[in-house]
Amino acid sequence: MLNRRGFITQSALATGSLLLSSTIIKAADLYDVPRRLTILHTNDVHSRIDPFPMDGSRNQGLAGVASRAQLIRQIRAQEENVLVLDAGDIFQGTPYFNIYKGEPEIKAMSAMGYDAATVGNHDFDAGLEALAMQLERHASFPMIICNYDFSGTPMETKYQPYKIFRKGGLKIGVLGVGVELQGLVPENLYGATKYLDPVQQANRTAATLKAQNCDLIICLSHLGYRSSANRMSDLVFAPQTENIDLIIGGHSHTFLEKPEVVKNKNGEDVVINQVGWAGLQLGRLDFIFEKRRRKTLVGSQAIVVSKKTEI
Amino acid sequence: MLLNRIRLALFATVFFASCQTVQVPVKADYAGYRITDSLPKDASLVAMMAPYRDSVDKSMNIVIGMLDKPLEKRQPQGALGDFMADALYYNAKKKFGVEPDLAVVNYGGIRLTQVPAGLITRGKVFELMPFDNLVVLQQIKGDVLKQFLDHTAAAGGWPLAGVSMKIENKKATDILIKGKPLDLDKTYNLINSDYVANGGDNAAMLKAIPQQNIGYLMRDAIFDYIIALKAQGKNISVTEQKRVYAQ
Repeated sequence: MLNRRGFITQSALATGSLLLSSTIIKAADLYDVPRRLTILHTNDVHSRIDPFPMDGSRNQGLAGVASRAQLIRQIRAQEENVLVLDAGDIFQGTPYFNIYKGEPEIKAMSAMGYDAATVGNHDFDAGLEALAMQLERHASFPMIICNYDFSGTPMETKYQPYKIFRKGGLKIGVLGVGVELQGLVPENLYGATKYLDPVQQANRTAATLKAQNCDLIICLSHLGYRSSANRMSDLVFAPQTENIDLIIGGHSHTFLEKPEVVKNKNGEDVVINQVGWAGLQLGRLDFIFEKRRRKTLVGSQAIVVSKKTEI
Repeated sequence: MLLNRIRLALFATVFFASCQTVQVPVKADYAGYRITDSLPKDASLVAMMAPYRDSVDKSMNIVIGMLDKPLEKRQPQGALGDFMADALYYNAKKKFGVEPDLAVVNYGGIRLTQVPAGLITRGKVFELMPFDNLVVLQQIKGDVLKQFLDHTAAAGGWPLAGVSMKIENKKATDILIKGKPLDLDKTYNLINSDYVANGGDNAAMLKAIPQQNIGYLMRDAIFDYIIALKAQGKNISVTEQKRVYAQ
């Protein structure tokens, strides 16, 4: 490899014509335009199709899929590279779910152009067969989760451990992790689903994504932001991970005032964000990328998080 | 020949540039958009949801009662949870034919954070208790009940009816069941949800205790309680009692 590099460098020097160097500069200029990715996200929407009713409650007039859809459409028109993600618990919470078992929720998400979602504990509430059926019939996005093994269940062919998205010259890897089912979800609902260690599975999956040269690795998490008694949560999970840059969280219905930045096991930054529940908010993160030499990378990754000035 | 070398050099330069450098995320700007009904709407979504909405509204907008004071979901004790525990407790005798000692609802099973005063619709009760959880009777010995109440204390306090207790160092103390101190050897009639009785919300100590299950939905217990209050000429309200309190 070194010899070949030497040869090429020499060749380039030897033939260093004006034409060539200006071509290279042009190519480099093009390459140096900072790449951007806009991530829009929700979690724990819990079947909130309509805004909260005008009945004097705290959230009256807030949320609703039609307004969210329009906002997503508007941002897509302004930004070139957009990913729309959900961190689980799509189902349960309004009569829509009691009556239709998830059909309008999945149809609305597909219409809004969601790129991926993960599985929350309440997505089991109508049973695995109902979940699989709604996904089969109405989902235009994948369910991504790497620590549930659905082998031998109706969900067997309806999920994947990760997906790679290509946006404007960037490769973005998305994986997902779910919460421990035993003691939370009734056994008759999760059936033969096996819960696997989220740290182990996420690190294994993220390593696969890194090996495929992903520029950004996102973990959709339904572990919950913080948990008592050392139970698994994003704040316990993130410091044990490698290669994950961003955790889009859910389960605990946490409204983070700003994204939290913690260090992973190699001292690199992991950004964690979560936007409450019910679709009261649509979260947005605009990532800016920089070109770096590969060898200077290890242990040096820092992500500066700041409030977006113009909305 | 020269042209070929130039081509090779050019290709190699571009190739190595992309191979030895990578794109790394260095900055993330965040924003949170509040979604409100007054924002512009996507017409196609409105149209797509319309048939679902019409039929949901038809069955769910029926007014079933009137609430006097707002009910809040709170720990260690809150009126919304108290109301749900009262509903379970109230219907127990008629449904199971026994005198209940206590009723419990897991805190996570309260699915609204608040119910404002005013007219209550059928849909509101579905939102408060969307799960098809069933009411069950468990006959539980005092010592296991103590473990279970400790579990609720460690979780910050769960809604209870028929009980008062203090939370001290994440344990239940000063426990009174219908006004009498907890007897570790006595057997109590616990009115519970099948979800918690099956070990849900990490209540593993209840799993082995047999359940009497008559297929009675928790949600129906709430409806029946509201109907019963109405029959007594009462609006929806909660008996104000000190039930679960911190040290």
